[in-house]
Amino acid sequence: MWSKTALLLAAGLGTAMSGPAFAAGPTCPDGPIKLGAISTITGPVDFSEVPKAAKAMYDAVNAAGGINGCKIDYEIADDKADPQVAAQAARDFIDNKKVVALTGGASLLECAVNAPTYKRAGVSSVHGLGVDPVCFNSPNIAPVNVGPYTLTTAMGLFASNTLKTKNLCAMFIIFGGTQEAYKASIARWEQLAGQKAKLVDLTVPTSGDYTPFLIKARDEGCDAVISNASEPGVVAWVKTADAQTITGVNWLFLSPGYTVEVAKTLADSKQRIYVGTEWEPYTEQNSAANKDWITAMNAAKRPLTAFSQGGYLSAEAMLDVIKSIDGPVTRNSINKALASMKPVSYPLAGSPYVFGPGATHAPMQATKVMRLAKGTWTVETKDWVVVPTK
Amino acid sequence: MNAYFTAAVTGLAAGSAYALLGVCAVFTYRLVAVVNFVGAAIGATGAFAFAMLAEEGLPLWLSALGGVIIGAAVSVAVGAIMTRWFADSPASTKAAVAVALLVGLVAVGLRITGGQHPHDFPALIGGSAFRLAGVEVTKASVATLLLALAFTLAANLFLNRSHTGLQLRALSERPVAAELIGIPVHMLSLWVWAVGGAATAFALILIAPQRAPNFLTLSLLVVPALAAALISFFRNFWSTLFGGVAMGMMEGLATVIPGLGEYRTAVPLVVILVVLLWSQRGARWDDAR
Repeated sequence: MWSKTALLLAAGLGTAMSGPAFAAGPTCPDGPIKLGAISTITGPVDFSEVPKAAKAMYDAVNAAGGINGCKIDYEIADDKADPQVAAQAARDFIDNKKVVALTGGASLLECAVNAPTYKRAGVSSVHGLGVDPVCFNSPNIAPVNVGPYTLTTAMGLFASNTLKTKNLCAMFIIFGGTQEAYKASIARWEQLAGQKAKLVDLTVPTSGDYTPFLIKARDEGCDAVISNASEPGVVAWVKTADAQTITGVNWLFLSPGYTVEVAKTLADSKQRIYVGTEWEPYTEQNSAANKDWITAMNAAKRPLTAFSQGGYLSAEAMLDVIKSIDGPVTRNSINKALASMKPVSYPLAGSPYVFGPGATHAPMQATKVMRLAKGTWTVETKDWVVVPTK
Repeated sequence: MNAYFTAAVTGLAAGSAYALLGVCAVFTYRLVAVVNFVGAAIGATGAFAFAMLAEEGLPLWLSALGGVIIGAAVSVAVGAIMTRWFADSPASTKAAVAVALLVGLVAVGLRITGGQHPHDFPALIGGSAFRLAGVEVTKASVATLLLALAFTLAANLFLNRSHTGLQLRALSERPVAAELIGIPVHMLSLWVWAVGGAATAFALILIAPQRAPNFLTLSLLVVPALAAALISFFRNFWSTLFGGVAMGMMEGLATVIPGLGEYRTAVPLVVILVVLLWSQRGARWDDAR
């Protein structure tokens, strides 16, 4: 069974293994290539599906003989959404386990806590799911996801360009140090769209009754509202809008709202609900862009969720980087390969992935917008909504 | 001015919830002398049981009954711990135990209910009751408020007019003496926990459909509820009722007052501080020390 799984996955990994870079190829004189991921697994959220999908990819590579004979030793650490645990996990990976790079991580706070450590130790991370603003503002981290801040700008552009809204409002829940990043993403939209936001409210609570905020948005005349509510928050938000019989407002949510559970729970709502995705919409199982990911996840018996797309994509990017190395795979050679890599297009993402030598990295700048109707997510934008660089 | 009135009305839904949960907290405190930090979490257990039973296809009212029974059962379990091991402990110890139980119950609750994935909470009482200042006041809010009112009236009558009420008051104030004169302390306490748990579970079944359906956020409703109860020092049902509603309306108001919005969740803290200062107004330095 395992060899069948491995074969399927190895097939899914595509042609890169047989490419010209592989002819000289990476070597591993000191044993397996050590990679790690620090993720929030227990605590307020469970992002474990991201590193587990990455692990499935590395396991498959190992089962097929490794890269150029080099096996990958991939380990996942749980940061429990606790800064101290996250810092400890980073030190353990860097000092004790001697990892050469991090990949497939997905944490609520890990970037903010560990970015200085990564810089000091010269370790790079291809995050599976960047959440906090530092993930997109560090020389050592380049996530494979769009992230909530760029996604905010993208959803704003979707509203002003496609829905032709005139009064865009933004109502955000501010966690930790995210205030400036959200403000910047709205400012970026204002610059690109040539409009001013009608209302920016950064005081929405994580929990509580949303009635006052929805009435405020209605009375201000918002025709579109962007919110970064989490999954249960989206449900509460829309149900409150229904209870207040609000009509004519487009509700724009970010990727946490894009789940099957939200769709099921809000099946009866008449509100206009849109979400921005991080990657090719995972619910579109017949999409050609999802084919390789679905094949790989089915072979590894991993669920087909947006999280597993992040893990898969981050492993794919890391494997391509390792394969491009000629000689021993070390922190230095990986860093060099990351800095000099050319942008690589993956079917799952709307932007090519690149790490590069920059002081900050946010390579992913494209989303597809989904609309919720009658309990089902449907693709609203067939083409990617790309945030222009200037 | 009108905008402020509208904003205050938007806080009515939250206010009625605080009032009902606050009244439940006063009920538990007056009868078994426990500051019930775990109250809303017990209610959340019942509310999630309701949602899960409804997801299984049970009729709504039957699911609600199931939720209320499960809420009561969890409450009795918490009460059993309190009465068996901490009946004679000082109030601070009981409060600490209640906080520990809250943390434990939330951890287990989050695991069982699937953490961040929302369950579908059907509205037991759906729709709008009336429109006031441009805000739909939902039937659920009105029902919550009426329930708080009914609970207040019933609790007052029961405590002041019935023999069992008298026994319960004795039990809360002098548990040992009450036991010595033959009051069935243990059994009565458990009944109080059962009634309190059932009422809180029903309250949360009404409130949950318009809240983020997450075990932790529902459990933390206990904070404003306890702030409402503190207004009367856990003594008076009526002041708790009005205090809860006023707190919700203040939160609504804070949303539209520039500069105050960031601090709207601090409303319970402000209420607690004001009450504490007010209660000390007559005290001279030596007494207050």
